[in-house]
Amino acid sequence: MTKVVEISPTTRHEGHSKLTLKVNDEGIVERGDWLSTTPVRGIEKLAIGKTMDQVPKIASRVCGICPIAHTLAGIEAMEASIGCEIPTDAKLLRVILHAANRLHSHALHNVLILPDFYIPGTETKINPFSREQPLRSVAARIFRIREIAQTIGSVAGGEAIHPSNPRVGGMYRNVSPRAKKKMADLAKEGLVLVHEQMEFMLEVTRNMQNREFVEVAGKQIPLPKTLGYHNQGVMATAPMYGSSSLDEKPMWDFTRWKETRPWDWYMGEETIDLEDPSYPIGGTTKVDTRVNPRMEACNTVPTYDGQPVEVGPRARLATFKHFAEKGTFAQHIARQMEYPDCCYTILNCLDNLDTSGKVLADNIPLGNGSMGWAANEAPRGTDVHLAWVKDGRVLRYEMLVPTTWNFPTCSRALTGAPWQIAEMVIRAYDPCVSCATHMIVVNEEDRVVAQKLMQW
Amino acid sequence: MIEDPYLGKYMTCVSARSTDKEILKKAQDGGIATTLMVYALEQGIIDGAIVAREGDLPWKPRPFVAMTREDILKAQRAKYNISPQISWLKEATRSFGLDKVGITGVCCQMQAVRKAQLYPINMRDVPGKIAFTVGLFCMVNFPYDSIQALVEDHANQSLSSVKKMEFGKGKFFVHTERGNVSTVPLKETHKYEQPGCHVCLDYVSNLADISTGSVGSPDGWSTVFVRTKKGNEVWLKAIADGMFETKPIEEVKPGLGLVMKLAKEKIDKNRKTLEERRNFGVNKALRDPYA
Amino acid sequence: MANKIKLGHVHLSGCTGCLVSVADNYQGFLKILDDYADLVYCLTLADVRRIPEMDVALVEGSVCIQNHESVEDIKETRKKSRIVVALGSCASYGNITRFCRGGQHNQPQHESYLPIGDLIDVDVYIPGCPPSPELIRNVAVMAYLLLEGNEDQKALAGRYLKPLMDLAKRSTTGCFCDLMNDVINQGLCIGCGICAASCPVRAITHEFGKPQGDLNLCIKCGSCYGACPRSFFNSDVISEFEAINEIIAGALKEGERDD
Ligand SMILES: Cc1cc2nc3c(=O)[nH]c(=O)nc-3n(C[C@H](O)[C@H](O)[C@H](O)COP(=O)(O)OP(=O)(O)OC[C@H]3O[C@@H](n4cnc5c(N)ncnc54)[C@H](O)[C@@H]3O)c2cc1C
Ligand code: SF4
Ligand code: SF4
Ligand code: SF4
Ligand code: SF4
Repeated sequence: MTKVVEISPTTRHEGHSKLTLKVNDEGIVERGDWLSTTPVRGIEKLAIGKTMDQVPKIASRVCGICPIAHTLAGIEAMEASIGCEIPTDAKLLRVILHAANRLHSHALHNVLILPDFYIPGTETKINPFSREQPLRSVAARIFRIREIAQTIGSVAGGEAIHPSNPRVGGMYRNVSPRAKKKMADLAKEGLVLVHEQMEFMLEVTRNMQNREFVEVAGKQIPLPKTLGYHNQGVMATAPMYGSSSLDEKPMWDFTRWKETRPWDWYMGEETIDLEDPSYPIGGTTKVDTRVNPRMEACNTVPTYDGQPVEVGPRARLATFKHFAEKGTFAQHIARQMEYPDCCYTILNCLDNLDTSGKVLADNIPLGNGSMGWAANEAPRGTDVHLAWVKDGRVLRYEMLVPTTWNFPTCSRALTGAPWQIAEMVIRAYDPCVSCATHMIVVNEEDRVVAQKLMQW
Repeated sequence: MIEDPYLGKYMTCVSARSTDKEILKKAQDGGIATTLMVYALEQGIIDGAIVAREGDLPWKPRPFVAMTREDILKAQRAKYNISPQISWLKEATRSFGLDKVGITGVCCQMQAVRKAQLYPINMRDVPGKIAFTVGLFCMVNFPYDSIQALVEDHANQSLSSVKKMEFGKGKFFVHTERGNVSTVPLKETHKYEQPGCHVCLDYVSNLADISTGSVGSPDGWSTVFVRTKKGNEVWLKAIADGMFETKPIEEVKPGLGLVMKLAKEKIDKNRKTLEERRNFGVNKALRDPYA
Repeated sequence: MANKIKLGHVHLSGCTGCLVSVADNYQGFLKILDDYADLVYCLTLADVRRIPEMDVALVEGSVCIQNHESVEDIKETRKKSRIVVALGSCASYGNITRFCRGGQHNQPQHESYLPIGDLIDVDVYIPGCPPSPELIRNVAVMAYLLLEGNEDQKALAGRYLKPLMDLAKRSTTGCFCDLMNDVINQGLCIGCGICAASCPVRAITHEFGKPQGDLNLCIKCGSCYGACPRSFFNSDVISEFEAINEIIAGALKEGERDD
């Protein structure tokens, strides 16, 4: 008989979300709903009427882990709307900033997921804050990688969190030759460390893949080989950085995107009838609690070609590097494989950067209200911002952020997993829930698409 | 360590002059500020220094991040109007790429720096990168238009032909390129002062690593206070490397007594101003930043 | 060895940038967790799902008063914590959530966001968007000394924290306007320039030495006012800068703690 169990709030990721799961007698998820429960700050609505310069600064504050993606996608959506090309050196600084942000974010994600994993060859789960070796050296390495990344980000971007240097039309300032050298030295140091860190994470992941069981709250939970598999497609606009409607060959298609309401996607009212007080730490939602995901969801459900898609490192590697593995562990593996590329990208850009080049466009038009979009490949996937700018003011603004794309896809990927390890499945998406909390206007036509999807 | 309610904490106080001929040629006084920053740069104590360089109008300073000796020298001479030096403090650690920042500035700017070091509000990475500070003595500062009025109206000189300005001996001196010297009595200058200076409780840059000014020492020499461990380290090294000639402050005229007298005058006067601000309106006080 | 304090991070309507800043103390963060504080609550870093008793609660983000859970969370936090710290500008002043005006799917009723000080008594502010890792570190060390230190250490910590406690009493709004209203209009500005350096969106320039704020850029974070030497200047503590820096550096030195 199907029972409903709920994990709320979920932990070890950014923001607030919950998992409402219908499970069979063996505790296997038949249908999973993963939704944001973070209050809707309404960035897209509050942007209306504000200046094109201010809105990306506000958009940055949607997420403090990938603020760079939101800043850059926001600014470039404005530039796409007004038709402004930026100087090469400004673009190089943005790419450096972008790669540095991916580096720090992937390293931070390592800290968040490691407690799900075992020290290879042992029955001990990893506590990244432990003083014991080898864990302390791993933690030290992760923190050093993050320090390197955040320092490069702050030099190129003005701040490591919520960068201040990017602006509509380019950047406020180019960097000094000394700053250029500093970034190169750091990236070179980072390159050695990320190779070590990648090897470590791959070993830990492969070890996990070979296990039959994991322990949760003293119970042995079987680990399916197909954990996190789904039949949805993938979406990515570039292996690094992104694309915009100003590109000669844009890598994202506005007309293939459709929006549906959570109402059409999520379960209606349910009553919790399965509870586990031993679930770490604090237990699951109490029996007899009434829940209603479609009413409670704070996120949206975007589709591409009428289907939810997966975005993120696995999507990028599948799209651009013929990476064929699927599921939760493939996502982890793909993420680690992106590590070195961050450092190589920074070093390549620095090679080409002219520190005396100008970084601000001579002419910054004020816009006539046409739509422009920019996609930035955030650490956790494609972040598309759309802007309509007229006379320097924002008429309409939309953000299709990575975790928004992943919510419905991942909900499907929960099917077949024992509910006790459902959180492992969502964590593999490196969710950033605050970003994903907003919703866009839809027309009636789109609702039909959604209902069809529900039946399938 | 000496602790004085007016002169702050210091380890040593001497009269000094740079031994660098090029620096001395254009120095305001003994060329202490410039020589110390150049020395710190060459010794790797700092990677660059925030100084007050000439801006877009004659004698209007602008903050500048100098990373070479030549650039530090371009900031020589006191410009008696506001240079928002500390606006570059964070950027120096960002696009300029400095890990060890040197800063020159007046007393209140040293206060801003130390506050940022202990209470870094949106000043990430800055506290650990403040490597060496040289503070100037400061009685008062002026808005640009005040200096324009003093030089062009009161002293009847054109700003663009002024070579040096100087306060001392109860007068404001304006030296022109052609060797002309005009003076304005100090009391005529008061109305033009920056109002914020009237609650300033520091005359000799108590919070700098090393502070310096003209008062107390003979013409062409400077009075120097060495205040912190860091300051002492740099000073002893610089002396050992022959960067400065020094004389004990007790042996020069007018000596520490004058510094003390002026410090006391300034601070007591400004304490009184703060007191007056407490009863400024009818049962209304103006804000007291030190409360 | 003195007891570790119980430290928690409560996430409301914030972006987690404040928490990333906490972690951006890197080795210093590990040292704090090793020796001074147990992280007893932090949804992003630990599996604890319900708010426990805490000595120090770092609260990030503002409160959406149309969201029942958020309102309960902040009340619960106050009840269960000895010291409540508003971590960052959203918790202290509202920051960008001051601009919120609701009307957006899927919860269009989420309209009103308040800094935590409008709902509960807050003990300490750490302004900044995000707050500097170094200031978070200083407050963490000082809170530890205040709760677990000897008499001298308690006194020092009390003096250090006082202006940040005063900020928490002063206001729940922050803006460039604070510099106009409480510094320039009060005849206190000295053109030092640090307000411009502190502004996270480069909204401040200096014109003839005095700040000019672009109100179409300002995100209402309150940093400029906090950084200004003419907002608060506690000379008794700031003149001890060299000794206090040494104490903090000593506390965070790598290796085993010796006491
Ligand atoms: C506004 C002001 C008021 C002063 N009042 C007094 C006083 O009352 N009594 C006294 O003894 N000395 C005072 N001085 C200091 C004195 O004028 C000299 O600047 C000091 O002795 C340094 O001389 P020097 O030869 O070592 O400097 P130099 O080697 O010539 O270098 C000058 C340094 O001053 C800095 N500087 C110049 N103008 C400014 C400015 N507007 N703001 C910040 N930094 C600046 C430059 O960056 C440079 O590093 C004052 C200085 C200023 C700027
Ligand atoms: S008198 Fe004080 S406040 Fe005024 S400029 Fe000099 S040091 Fe600053
Ligand atoms: S203060 Fe800034 S960094 Fe902190 S939660 Fe708010 S927007 Fe994010
Ligand atoms: S920080 Fe304060 S005193 Fe300094 S320039 Fe800004 S407003 Fe004026
Ligand atoms: S001017 Fe800048 S620092 Fe001041 S409140 Fe506005 S955004 Fe914050």
